[in-house]
Amino acid sequence: MPVPQNSTPSAATSGTHIAVENLQIHYGTVLAVRGVSFTVEQGEQLTLLGPSGCGKTTTLRAIAGLEKPTSGEIRIGGAPVYSSARKVNLPAENRGLSMVFQSYAIWPHMTVFENVAYGLRVRRESKAEIEAKVDRALDMVQMRPYRDRRASQLSGGQQQRVALARAFVFSPSVLLFDEPLSNLDAKLRGDMRIELRELQHRLGITSVYVTHDLEEALAMSDRIVVMRDGVIEQVGTPNEIYNLPRNAFVADFVGSANLISGRHRADLDTDGLVAIETAGGDIVYGSAYGRPIGDTATMSVRTVHFKFSTQRPAGERNVWPVKVDRMVFQGDFTQVHVTWSGQHLVIRCAALEPTEGAHDAFMSVDPRRVVLLEAEKAGA
Amino acid sequence: MTQTMVAGRRFSAQAVAGVVVAIVAAILVLYPVFFLLQAALDVGDPDVRPPTAYGFSNFGGLLQYPQIIFNTLGVSFIATALALVFGFMLAWILTRTNVPGRRWLEPLMVVPFYLTPLLGALAWSMLGSQESGFINQFWRALGGSGYIIDANTAYGIAWVMALFEGSVAFVMISAVMKSMDPSLEEASQVMGASRWRTMLRITLPLVIPGVLGAAIFVFAEMLGSFAAALVLGSPNRFYVVTTAIYQLTQQYPPKIPLAAAMGASLFIVMFVMLFIYRWIVTAGSYVTITGKAFRPRVNDVGRLRYFLLALCLLYLFVAVVLPLATLMYASFQKLAVAFPTADNWTLNNYRTAMSMNAVRSALSNSLILGLATATIGVLLMTLLSWLIYRAKLPGSSIIEYVVMFPQAVPRLVFAFGIMWAWLVSPIPIYGTLWLLLIAYITVFLPLGIRTISGVMLQVDKSLEECAQMCGAPWGYRMRTVTVPLLWPGLIAAWLLLFIASIRELGASILLMGPHSKVITPSIVESWNATSSELTAAMALIQTAVVAVAVAILLALTRRVGGHTRMD
Repeated sequence: MPVPQNSTPSAATSGTHIAVENLQIHYGTVLAVRGVSFTVEQGEQLTLLGPSGCGKTTTLRAIAGLEKPTSGEIRIGGAPVYSSARKVNLPAENRGLSMVFQSYAIWPHMTVFENVAYGLRVRRESKAEIEAKVDRALDMVQMRPYRDRRASQLSGGQQQRVALARAFVFSPSVLLFDEPLSNLDAKLRGDMRIELRELQHRLGITSVYVTHDLEEALAMSDRIVVMRDGVIEQVGTPNEIYNLPRNAFVADFVGSANLISGRHRADLDTDGLVAIETAGGDIVYGSAYGRPIGDTATMSVRTVHFKFSTQRPAGERNVWPVKVDRMVFQGDFTQVHVTWSGQHLVIRCAALEPTEGAHDAFMSVDPRRVVLLEAEKAGA
Repeated sequence: MTQTMVAGRRFSAQAVAGVVVAIVAAILVLYPVFFLLQAALDVGDPDVRPPTAYGFSNFGGLLQYPQIIFNTLGVSFIATALALVFGFMLAWILTRTNVPGRRWLEPLMVVPFYLTPLLGALAWSMLGSQESGFINQFWRALGGSGYIIDANTAYGIAWVMALFEGSVAFVMISAVMKSMDPSLEEASQVMGASRWRTMLRITLPLVIPGVLGAAIFVFAEMLGSFAAALVLGSPNRFYVVTTAIYQLTQQYPPKIPLAAAMGASLFIVMFVMLFIYRWIVTAGSYVTITGKAFRPRVNDVGRLRYFLLALCLLYLFVAVVLPLATLMYASFQKLAVAFPTADNWTLNNYRTAMSMNAVRSALSNSLILGLATATIGVLLMTLLSWLIYRAKLPGSSIIEYVVMFPQAVPRLVFAFGIMWAWLVSPIPIYGTLWLLLIAYITVFLPLGIRTISGVMLQVDKSLEECAQMCGAPWGYRMRTVTVPLLWPGLIAAWLLLFIASIRELGASILLMGPHSKVITPSIVESWNATSSELTAAMALIQTAVVAVAVAILLALTRRVGGHTRMD
């Protein structure tokens, strides 16, 4: 795997489609979203990722027009649909968007066909047109054979597909997804993830996707916005978010990471690497990726990026003896808990037979995989 | 697209209709309450309105009638205690034991609620009056002397009310028993506690808040109950507060301020009790009310279960079968006696009932009112429910309080306020069906809104939001998604309102005019003025109309169960 570059990515960059500026949303007296700004490019799939209560769904619903923000501005295709300054608040039905709901929101009193045809009927399309479009949409989600079923006779996965067809059949300019896969079982979720991604590519439609599931976010997005407590923690491609977490929160939330803190040893910096000395006196070489470094610094290492061995590996930098506390066999990988430099670390090794009891071993890591984090803001 | 305009337009499209409806509801409820209080505080010249002086001396007048307060409390206590015994026993039997036939017994236990206290009072009066009561006739035929029961007493009134309220207590207590997590009891047994210890230390403490809630609710209802005391008590000049209010407004000269003071006091007491009730069911109970239905643990009671089955059947017999059979038996006789001769049988009572102008017009008035109340009521109450529970408008909790207000006021007292309010109104609807329509819609606001909002809250909000995201404007959304999803609930609410209107007595008896008679007060009039046989026939005709509506309702709610549980 190539080491990531700090570049600006995006699948299709033919202009900004959605712009959210300094969005604030109150829930009663609670400020749920505290000044969030980001943009979504034309045809891009953007994901809002974060733990529950971070304001991601509220932000999505504000874009949809289902939630009234307190202040800020939301523009779609350049035109404001909400603006506190200009006193604009376009109702949801006039924004030309579409949405897939967490609960699917399949209308139980209609058939599959009627569910999907709804948006077209609202737009007063001709009967023939509706028939053709609905059938094409149902084909795309492989639900054509269920066309005349009552929606209540469908399984969760089938309801999900109908909800999807209903959302894109009338060619909305933007598709919004509110945790659409969270009610499916693990295996189906994995399949749907791929299908959704492919469908989105085929339709080339701009979409905003909300999830708390890291794998889902990594697999489905062009770019990810990581949120916490109503503010944005980091924006970047899946690669950047995973490999170059900006701070301890992102490193920890986005997959499992080991955090190592220490004093900056500028005298040891070489080859574009930065060196820190831990409280236990070990020297760790890492990469700054252009980030400023202070007197003390925290580095993040993914559990999979540590190398574990019983023989001492070649090389001098970032090779340490460690004490193994326990090994937990988890099927696809084995999780090794070690004590090193006075702290506990976790290493994930593929295809490793677990051995009994505590013993000594070695641990090493590529300095490019040791990522310098930005200092946490005070109070965060 | 003129986007700056749209924000304002959206607000009006949804909210203006809602705000208008809310204001209408507030006027319906608060206007009569205002006049009730005004009359209660009026100590000036009784012939001049508006009052020339205000004061509290009317309330002092209440103390001149300690007997009435004593009667009311006595009847209410006895009836509440009895109703709780019935309700608790039946709830325990049907939710916690393996009594045979639980599945079909449970829905039957609600039937006594659909037979009105009026029906029960008429039947038990025929069964248990000192001289002519059937039971006492049997007693004498068996060689006894005098009488063994007397329905025209406080005990008689309490008995009739307890049979009726027992079904209410059953519904409330069995809901509590069903919503109790059985693992709480299982945990106790796993820890080694005996069955009795579990019952005493776990089950009972968990159920007590619910039972207490039911007790207060039933007691408050009892304080405001009217029909049984009117039929059974009035002939012996035995008055409770509601019948006293009625008497004070009907006698000549009427004592309006005193009646108003009585009504206002009753209203305040009931309001406080319902407040305590709400407090108990929300704050006072810990685990039991989670809204989640569990499958309760069923105790194997062995052979005792046949005895328990007999108890359930006995309750149904005494509360439903016996009263109906009695009325039917009486309605086919020329002169109702326990041991009729062959030539005593007749169909004339029904013929007379159907041919009497008064009865026919009363029945058709009631039907018209039922249809109108149900139809207009459902429209108004749907909008109100939507406004309170769906549209996040400021002040919706205040509107909720206002529309739920009539629950705390006996219908007779509310009707007093309405009567007093519309007597001075320049709109000449006093004594017409229009006034009854307004009264019905007002007093049934809580009933309708509770029914409709119950269904509305079951329907996932995202179903409406999704329609919005598909681009459907408010009206289109309502028509294609909201209303169709609510449909079963709306029909149920319509039927409930229809049934309630047809059976209504407390408000109607005060408000109906000589040319706008309705059926239930006419039955009471017939009881007082003509024969009990004819009255029985009229009561059964009314019951038949209600029974048809109930049958449709039950069939519908059963079928609907699967549909609304969808999401």
